Amino acid sequence: MEEKKGANPKLIVAVQMLSIGVILLILGLIVFFLSPIRTMASYFRISSIISDGSIILVGLGFTIGGFIRLKRLKKA
Amino acid sequence: MHADFFIIVVYLALMFGAGIFFSRNIKNTADYFLAARSAPWFWIMGAVWATNIGFLHGYLAHGGAAYEWGLIQANFEWFQGPFGYVLTGIFFIAFYWRAGIYTVPQFLEKRYGTGIRTIYSLAWLIIFVVTIAAELYLGGMFLKNFLHIPFWPTVFVLTGVVGTYTLLGGLGAAIMMEFVQFVIMMLGTMPLLFILLHLVGGFGGIKNILISQWGVSAQYFTVLPDIHHPYGPGPWIILGQCMVVTIGWCAGHQSMVQRNLGARSLYDSKLGYVVAAIPKTLGAFLYVVPMIAAPIIFARYGIFVEKADAAYGKLILNLLPTGMLGLFIAGLLSAGLSSIGSVLNSSSTMLIKDIYEKFLAKRKSDHHYFIAGRVATFAVIVTSLLLVPVVLKVPLIMWLEQTLLAMALGPFMGVLVLAIFWRRANTPGSLVGFITGAVFAITLQQGFGVKIFFQISWWSFVVTLLVTIFVSLLTKPPKKEKVEGITWESDFESMVGAIVEERAETKAMRVTEMAPRKITRPPWYLNLKYWATAILLVQVLLLFFFG
Repeated sequence: MEEKKGANPKLIVAVQMLSIGVILLILGLIVFFLSPIRTMASYFRISSIISDGSIILVGLGFTIGGFIRLKRLKKA
Repeated sequence: MHADFFIIVVYLALMFGAGIFFSRNIKNTADYFLAARSAPWFWIMGAVWATNIGFLHGYLAHGGAAYEWGLIQANFEWFQGPFGYVLTGIFFIAFYWRAGIYTVPQFLEKRYGTGIRTIYSLAWLIIFVVTIAAELYLGGMFLKNFLHIPFWPTVFVLTGVVGTYTLLGGLGAAIMMEFVQFVIMMLGTMPLLFILLHLVGGFGGIKNILISQWGVSAQYFTVLPDIHHPYGPGPWIILGQCMVVTIGWCAGHQSMVQRNLGARSLYDSKLGYVVAAIPKTLGAFLYVVPMIAAPIIFARYGIFVEKADAAYGKLILNLLPTGMLGLFIAGLLSAGLSSIGSVLNSSSTMLIKDIYEKFLAKRKSDHHYFIAGRVATFAVIVTSLLLVPVVLKVPLIMWLEQTLLAMALGPFMGVLVLAIFWRRANTPGSLVGFITGAVFAITLQQGFGVKIFFQISWWSFVVTLLVTIFVSLLTKPPKKEKVEGITWESDFESMVGAIVEERAETKAMRVTEMAPRKITRPPWYLNLKYWATAILLVQVLLLFFFG
């Protein structure tokens, strides 16, 4: 049986990280800009900011991490 | 509402785009079915949990049951964590890895032969197709009832998104999306708990209002009710749920196991499974505890709920502001999509590895099976779509899923436990045991009208165990080479051998001054034993407070 050479596992993880980061970052930012934060009741406002802010932070972390890993792999 | 709709559309578009972007890296069957064995432990953690949570087994159905029956619904989260995830991670996963398999039925074949593999694969394939159809139906109905989006276009869009990334990217794309869904479910839907607890005065406030003012039974607030409870008596939860169903689900559900086989190392696989018990435990706070507080909110704001399954949707629509609601619905959709994607990917793997490669097209090229995998994924999507209109309208379909689950989980646990822990168990024993256990389960359910699923699973497990032992002892034992490497005893022997070799080498080093052997151990914060112990302690505390 012929076997085609598989993908580099490190590349797979780097692409996954970057994609996850971009999805979370864009989604988090869109939710942030569309939420009427000023008009929300205080408890809802705090919950919304913490929840959305965490998604943006996780997204940013994964985007940067994925980008760095991809760059390193390209250099190697 | 328009802003929320926009958030959902953007979310689906992002998943669709990322799936296509990722799929360019997939080249052969190992990439497609096992994600090139690349996933680190935290990918596994997120993917396993997201696979486990859906519309059916999660927010809508479990949330609805919690609204109706109370805290008992939390046992699906709090017992499955330590019993299912931790025990499977520690005891079973290593044997799947060592057997070098793609599917759980392949393991059964290696240990017992083709017969049991075929029966098990066919049962799960039917369960999977019905599950996808039911998830699509529930997702379509949810968006139709609460956001007034037409049913069929919604179902086609959901199928298009999840089908595209799973069909093109295989397990790697599915794991990637499951991690996104894990983050959105955890961070996007957790605020509901804090908002509700703030509004009703904490967990004590809920108890006070429901028990003291409304006269609700104290059984509503326990995870282990007494033996007369109609939904889940405590003793059956301990025997059936903890000992059989949760472990059978975690060690026997192809979608759950396949994520672990895609890990970059056995250690990542084990750690990922064990640590997934943490989000599993937190799951109760996402959709069980909020639904216990929901009746108070409904009464306070005069909201009418016609049936329990609709309670979760009504709660978030009436409570959450724009933006937060969109994110929340994205989280709910994530639950459904992650389940559909994982089951879709696993169905195609089983179709190709257990049916097509085994019986229809032997010894073809790797590329042939790779293309066949994509065709199989497409075939499963089409079959599930065709089942959507009838899935919940025709009781036979749901009856079939429930019966097959009851039929499969108990007997599977019986033969799996013996496969790994008793090397004397053989092919005729397992086959007769499995079939007897399955027939016994159906007889209990259909003939004697036993309704408690845990009770059926426990007794079918016991019957399978006894019959397999009895028939195995009456027939020839399996050959040594057949059980070598995939049973606990042989594993123990080989471990002892390795320890002896290592000690001999260390002694020799002193005499001959050889270079010290480099042994890499994970850092303390990734130590499996510490995590497993911490998780078990948390579960004991939860049971102490809520049991």
